[in-house]
Amino acid sequence: MINFEFIGTYIAAFLTLAIYSFLYKDNPFYKLAEHIFAGISAGYYVGLVWHSIIKQQLLNPLLQYHQYLLIIPGVLGLLMFTRFIPKISWISRISLAFVIGNTAGITLIQQLHGIVLPQIRCTFLDITQISELVMVVGVVSTLIYFYFSKEHKGVLGFTANLGIWFIMVAFGASFGYTVMARVSLLIGRAQFLMIDWLGLLK
Amino acid sequence: MNGFVKIFSKLKEIDRRYIYLFIALAAVVPLIFPLGLPIGVTQEAKDLFNKVESLKEGSVVILTFDYYPSTLPETEPMSYAALRHMFRKKLKVITLTTVPLGSLSVMESVVKNVAREYNKVYGEDYVNLGYKYGYQAVMLGMGRNIKDIFPYDNYDNPLDSLPLMQKVKNYDDVDFLFAVSDNATVEYWVSIVNAQFGLSMGAGVTAVMAPRCYSFLQTKQMVGLLGGMKGAAEYESLSENYGWATVGMGPQSIIHFLIIFFIIAGNIGYFATKGKRR
Repeated sequence: MINFEFIGTYIAAFLTLAIYSFLYKDNPFYKLAEHIFAGISAGYYVGLVWHSIIKQQLLNPLLQYHQYLLIIPGVLGLLMFTRFIPKISWISRISLAFVIGNTAGITLIQQLHGIVLPQIRCTFLDITQISELVMVVGVVSTLIYFYFSKEHKGVLGFTANLGIWFIMVAFGASFGYTVMARVSLLIGRAQFLMIDWLGLLK
Repeated sequence: MNGFVKIFSKLKEIDRRYIYLFIALAAVVPLIFPLGLPIGVTQEAKDLFNKVESLKEGSVVILTFDYYPSTLPETEPMSYAALRHMFRKKLKVITLTTVPLGSLSVMESVVKNVAREYNKVYGEDYVNLGYKYGYQAVMLGMGRNIKDIFPYDNYDNPLDSLPLMQKVKNYDDVDFLFAVSDNATVEYWVSIVNAQFGLSMGAGVTAVMAPRCYSFLQTKQMVGLLGGMKGAAEYESLSENYGWATVGMGPQSIIHFLIIFFIIAGNIGYFATKGKRR
């Protein structure tokens, strides 16, 4: 009997090493792995869209449970394909208008209610405490840095410069975390090669 | 002084492939010879752990698997640690994903493995809702009625046929949301589900996303946060269920030291040879 897990592990190990071989220099193994990745991702996505969207969310409810209202989004979806026919490509704008309007409405509430207002509310702090004073100064000076309607001179210039320092600290923290993330991925691959493939560790 | 400048100017021009080699060795060697370095636990991880710990037996939790296979080393240990903790606490768990590529099979494997460890019964103790396209619509729709969005579970069972889902209509019947994510969906869980439906939540995210998510701790929209592999190791340590994230902390520390060394050496080399280049 064919052991698919065994074969899969060897394929994954080969593809991992092929991708890492790019660190030495560009080579055909790297290109092969890259193309396999792009091709499989595209194929997987097409299969997933067919199964979990078209079949599960449109065809099944429509044909099995007679939910005829779904004809409307179905037709709107089909109209998108008119983009391939230049003469009637304008029809696809109807579907796009629906998507844009819908997304804008949802996003507006989500951003205002869920992000902007809670963040603003949390800057109303007791600034007699050092950490909270730093927070308020950081928010105000960073916002002033992004105020471009007046030349950054005098008090405005000083505050904007202070804002740059806060932005730099944020970038530094972000960079540190990004390094940690990328290192974690490398460790994950090292664990896979050492444990799952070579069986060196238990 | 000339010798000093010479060393650092040479170090500055070292072939990058030697740096890759050092990093590779630093990733592999501590796996073979574990260092057993202590893992400091952050307050954010403690808060998240304590929140799950405080839930009563039988409470319903949604655990999301919103990540792609490319970030498995950071996110999968979080899912394992969280699910083990939840099952040990005898919580009822609903799992789902809003990410299309690969997360479905990862979720199936994690849920099946952990459920087997704790002898949990499908449909009664946990339900796997699977994947549904369009995360915004999914999150909003589940607030009205979960069955509208997921009429069937991941295995095509009607939701009405599952005892757990007969008790859970929408977020009102859920006690906590634990989002494990490597992308912006976590922001939507916060800004839609927490902000609009008031469901208490915490998250485990990749290290890249952690700085962004700290702002949600400040606003108390999240009770706790796990950041990257370190966050996963913290949760493993808190739940005394050590896994691959804990093992990965040894190489992580060594590589960080190495990177810091290269940054410092590179900068010294730059400043030492600055005048020379002019």
